[in-house]
Amino acid sequence: MEFPAALFPSYFVTGPPQEEGGPAPTAGWGEHEQVLEADPGCRQAGTMFVPRRGGMGESWKPADAAAIPLLPPNTSYWIPSLEPQDILYRGALYRKLQTGKSAATLDFTKQLRHFFVDHPEDAFGSMGQLLHQNFFLGNSKLKVSVHLRVIMPSTTPYSGGASLCPFSSPQRQARNSSIRMTALMEEIERLKARRGCPKQYLVPRLRWFSHICRDWLFEVPLGLLADSMHEELLLQWANLLFDDSCTGGALAWLPPKDLCTGCLVYPGGQAMNHLYFQDVVLKELPRAQASPAQFELNGRIRQVAAARVDGEDFVGVRSDYHCGIWRVPGRIGAAPTPLQVIHTDVPASCLTVSPHLPGELAVCTQSGAIYLWSVEMGLQRLRHDTQTMFFRDHSSWHWSDFTAHPRVLSCADRTGLQCLDARAPERCHFDLFKVGQEAGCQQGERVVLPMYLGRAHPSQHLVTTQFSVYVLDERLPMVPVLKWAHMMKAPPLFSHLTPGGPRRSHKVLLGASCTQELLLLQYQAFTSAGQFLSYPSTGGSQSACQLAGPPQKLHSIAGCLQHLPTQLPHHHHLLQQRLDAPAAGLAATLQEDGPQESLLVFQLSEAGDIFYQRLIHEVMQPPAPTLMDEAEPSASPQPLPAVPSPAAALRYRRWLKDFSRGHREHPQHTWPPTFSQKRIFTRRELEMSAGPSTLHQQARQQLRQAMQEGNRIQRWDTPPPQPPLLQLLEPPGGLDTLSARLTTAWSEGWCQWWEEKSNYNVAQRRQALRERRRQQKRARGRRSLSASFTSSHTYQSELSELSDVAPLPPPLSPTVLPRETASSPPPSAVLDEALLSSQSLHCRGIPKERRKTLRDYLSVCAEEPPEPPEPLASQASQACIPSSQSLSQASCTSQPRRKRPRMGF
Amino acid sequence: STHKHKLDFTKSKEACLSYIQDAMLQQQWKRAAEFMACYVESLEKDFSREPVSPSEIIWRMGSEILCHHPQSSIKEYNSFVEQMKTIGLKRYLKICLEHTFHLLCNGLIDEAYQNLSMAESWRFGEYTVIQDKEKKLIQAYRGLLDYYSWYKQKNILLEHGQDGFEDLSVEQEMHSSFRKAAVNLQEIIKIPGVWDLFVKCYVDLLEFYGDHNEARQVLNEYAYNSKFPANPNAHVYLYQFLKRQGESKKSLISALKILHDIVPSHELMIDFNTMLQKSKKRKKRRLGLEVIFAALDYAGWKENVKAWSCLARQVKQIIISEKHLEWIKQEWNSRKDWWPAFHFSRYLAKKNWQENKNLSYEKAVVAGILLGKDCKYFKHVSHQGCKAQVKRFRMLKRFMNKHNHVCLRISG
Repeated sequence: MEFPAALFPSYFVTGPPQEEGGPAPTAGWGEHEQVLEADPGCRQAGTMFVPRRGGMGESWKPADAAAIPLLPPNTSYWIPSLEPQDILYRGALYRKLQTGKSAATLDFTKQLRHFFVDHPEDAFGSMGQLLHQNFFLGNSKLKVSVHLRVIMPSTTPYSGGASLCPFSSPQRQARNSSIRMTALMEEIERLKARRGCPKQYLVPRLRWFSHICRDWLFEVPLGLLADSMHEELLLQWANLLFDDSCTGGALAWLPPKDLCTGCLVYPGGQAMNHLYFQDVVLKELPRAQASPAQFELNGRIRQVAAARVDGEDFVGVRSDYHCGIWRVPGRIGAAPTPLQVIHTDVPASCLTVSPHLPGELAVCTQSGAIYLWSVEMGLQRLRHDTQTMFFRDHSSWHWSDFTAHPRVLSCADRTGLQCLDARAPERCHFDLFKVGQEAGCQQGERVVLPMYLGRAHPSQHLVTTQFSVYVLDERLPMVPVLKWAHMMKAPPLFSHLTPGGPRRSHKVLLGASCTQELLLLQYQAFTSAGQFLSYPSTGGSQSACQLAGPPQKLHSIAGCLQHLPTQLPHHHHLLQQRLDAPAAGLAATLQEDGPQESLLVFQLSEAGDIFYQRLIHEVMQPPAPTLMDEAEPSASPQPLPAVPSPAAALRYRRWLKDFSRGHREHPQHTWPPTFSQKRIFTRRELEMSAGPSTLHQQARQQLRQAMQEGNRIQRWDTPPPQPPLLQLLEPPGGLDTLSARLTTAWSEGWCQWWEEKSNYNVAQRRQALRERRRQQKRARGRRSLSASFTSSHTYQSELSELSDVAPLPPPLSPTVLPRETASSPPPSAVLDEALLSSQSLHCRGIPKERRKTLRDYLSVCAEEPPEPPEPLASQASQACIPSSQSLSQASCTSQPRRKRPRMGF
Repeated sequence: STHKHKLDFTKSKEACLSYIQDAMLQQQWKRAAEFMACYVESLEKDFSREPVSPSEIIWRMGSEILCHHPQSSIKEYNSFVEQMKTIGLKRYLKICLEHTFHLLCNGLIDEAYQNLSMAESWRFGEYTVIQDKEKKLIQAYRGLLDYYSWYKQKNILLEHGQDGFEDLSVEQEMHSSFRKAAVNLQEIIKIPGVWDLFVKCYVDLLEFYGDHNEARQVLNEYAYNSKFPANPNAHVYLYQFLKRQGESKKSLISALKILHDIVPSHELMIDFNTMLQKSKKRKKRRLGLEVIFAALDYAGWKENVKAWSCLARQVKQIIISEKHLEWIKQEWNSRKDWWPAFHFSRYLAKKNWQENKNLSYEKAVVAGILLGKDCKYFKHVSHQGCKAQVKRFRMLKRFMNKHNHVCLRISG
């Protein structure tokens, strides 16, 4: 290829960059930069000049209103990637927005908490196993007294281990040294139930526990764990600011071998670890043909690179620790075959496929090693340098690509590019690009993505930084032949070249990841065709590189949201989240359909969705080299299509249908919904209602109960109608087993009770039953009017009580909680009545100050009737009464009235 | 409230800017122009302490819009830029330079010249480093335009000189143009940089007036000063100058040798190779072989028939003479592991045969000699050639059979 006869003038200064500035939003506009004489051969006819920037480019108009889905959504449920909110301190984001500066504050404690909750085995595993025999989690009281001296189970040697000595068994010993942790667990459970509640105060017991255990409880010492956690958080934050792992993009287009069927290579699946080769037919609308060839890999696919050599496509796939190469034979319909896989100890940062030799690739790792990988010859390490090339930079990112010479590779880090000869990598190398004044860089500018532009010109390279894009020529190193400030909000991580034929401009697409930006640039390296119509030159002689036409912004995936059918708000939110997913790759192809030429641009998102857009080439009549005054105003450009075409709309609908179906299969919430108390009542409301009304008290208790147990407040709407009569029927001694046990447990005489219970005399019980019957009869005489409605109830409750008492429960060991069988619902109302009378409490030895607590507690219990009796017709009318009313009936009207006769007992 | 006002103003200013940017990136120039009209207000209340001043933003975006807006004219552009010059004092020289470029690209040479003259006489305090550079560029471009007017007058004089007619005033004008151009051009080319255009013009002036020593010095300085970038064109200009001067083969070869060292893939390498092949010295012929092998390493030369025929001819000569076979062997050693796949694959044999018979013939010669007559490329091409009954392919086959034993010594 010829070297241009004259280059655009420029100064050449060496040294580190001086210019300050940072991102300038408009730096790319309004400059011609330099001019050059257009065609020295034709000077007679008047000198003409061409600008380095601002020349005429080709016109490519978007054919659609927005990007259109090419394939159905990546079916698997997508977990949205990390967001700043996830790791930043809660107030930080907002404050940052307000002040505009202030460093990010990482929410370290939250992450540590998540770790303890999500990975308890890793956090406390072995200590938990050691302790679990010494921690008693049951509800019963520990029988043995806790010794101050802790006996370690290992201190007692077994004698041969033939038989377990009952007295020195480890279990026994553990029992001796075990403590009851139930209360602590309850506190923790309560904390869990209070999730989402902003006022999470710590109970002293918990604080005390954590103080004591801090030094020894954790599997990994807390300080060490915190260090690692902090390091990881910083890493995640750095990744959030700029994630370079997907540099190069994970989407590749293998051009058609026949006329119209190309192949798209992309990752998919839930973990993006499936590699797909999907045939795509380029017709009016590009569409997938047949099902894709699929390979499952054992890592997330970061990059897919492809090149065609000798009619065969070679596809390189990079994940963090593995790189693989596939071959797609030249025959139409031939299946792709995997050729080789390599494993790296350090994550690979780059994989490029040679456009010159079949089965050759360049691999870089983050440790700074650069390899030439040949399927036949294996790996050849060209360089291993942990330092950056030109000046010190913390980033360990490295990149490598091919050059015009098949044995010379370019290698890059954030500070610049060098070319090295694979035959003698130590001796033969030269600097191609350097972040410095040579290229007119700014301070803080860093290389983001280099790309070999071999398909456009064998010795040209593209280098993008976060501010600018450069075109370099190997034959004139260090001095960019083209430089342009791209004004993108995020650094371009993906690029794609569509070479133009003779006398056509080359199209370069730049893509950013997190902002989904997509920019189309054109550059050319021949004397501008438009200006020299009168001198048809031969084949477009090589001239200096020029930027052709203004840059053009293309549709992003997120932009199609407004063209999708309207959704319910939460669906809309999910959809938005999905469409806003960062871009993960970029590919394009030129489609020639008769006279019409169009550029198809494919975009891959991190969620695995692929969208495309079409740009149509408008052949403009190149304006004659006249003055602008005389030039007729060219026809105003056609406005962008405002609505998607019917075919596109159909695709949107189908895509959306598949998307929402996929979402229904994966429910997002697995835990029961919880309420924040704050939302239901304001603090003031709660305070106001605290005083007089027992109704409010009841409601609050119920609410608290529900919150403690993490339940729903379902019973709020359908309260069991409490038959008031039942409460009168209760004999003083006739408590059911559970209540009696609870009561005795409260008065700390539970073990004794158990002994008594197991030796209970049947005769005694019969006596008690008879006694109760007698009392019932007495009670009937005093019955109020309301009681007559529920006469049948009494009968039923009688039956239930009989059935309850008659069969003796089998003796249970104290550690096992006796469970109520379905056939014996505890008549809680009865128990309630008996317990609530202060007398009965007193005779059970319950101290005065505890009585109120117990009463509160049991009244809550009482509202949980196991199976409400069959509602009768008379009761049905009562059931219509709003719940709160019947509740109040039960608690405030009937109770005091009942108490009075008992006083006289 | 003033603070709030400022805040609101900044916000709306930023929003407006992003609208303009958006419209421009979608090439909706009319819409951008409408927003721009609103944005100009930001000049009036400029509270910002940003590095990029609103005046620069307006200049950059405004001139871009005016370049593309369907209804804009050069007059409007001029008046806009004139206003911008007075507002953005710091960027005055830059704006002048850009204005000149715009005029030049629209063929308005005289206006551009006036503009440059005005910019040159501008004074405002001390020059910064950037302004100093811009000033020197302005002078250089003025020198360039002076050169073009000198060139024009020279042509007039030459045409009329043939008629025997002499015009003193034109001649005087020409000489004054020369002086002005020479003064300005020689300044810029002393500073390190890429000055292809200016160097060429300056050398042309010097050559016309017979100052060959000065011209040679300028070109030598441009090519060999280590402060300048390694510009292949500098060496090309020197080589062309030496050729024009009828210099000896030796000096031409040494000029091209340096070009070969920095750019082995330069298109002049064919000339270099031919020159070397003609030489009687062994060393130079050896260098010639090296040069052509090195050139064919590059992807851009893959289908260069001329280069392949150069190589084929030289390799054939060596085989026939059976002297210096080790030259080929040495060159081949460092290439035998990748040239077969790079140049001589079966796919390329088919493709080259279909697309360019000459190329496939020359390559088949080289492949046959380097890889033996059993190599895929040679076999395919000679088979196809014999089938098509082309005479030279049959001769090639005969040649290969005759010299097979020599070839085996290379590939073996």
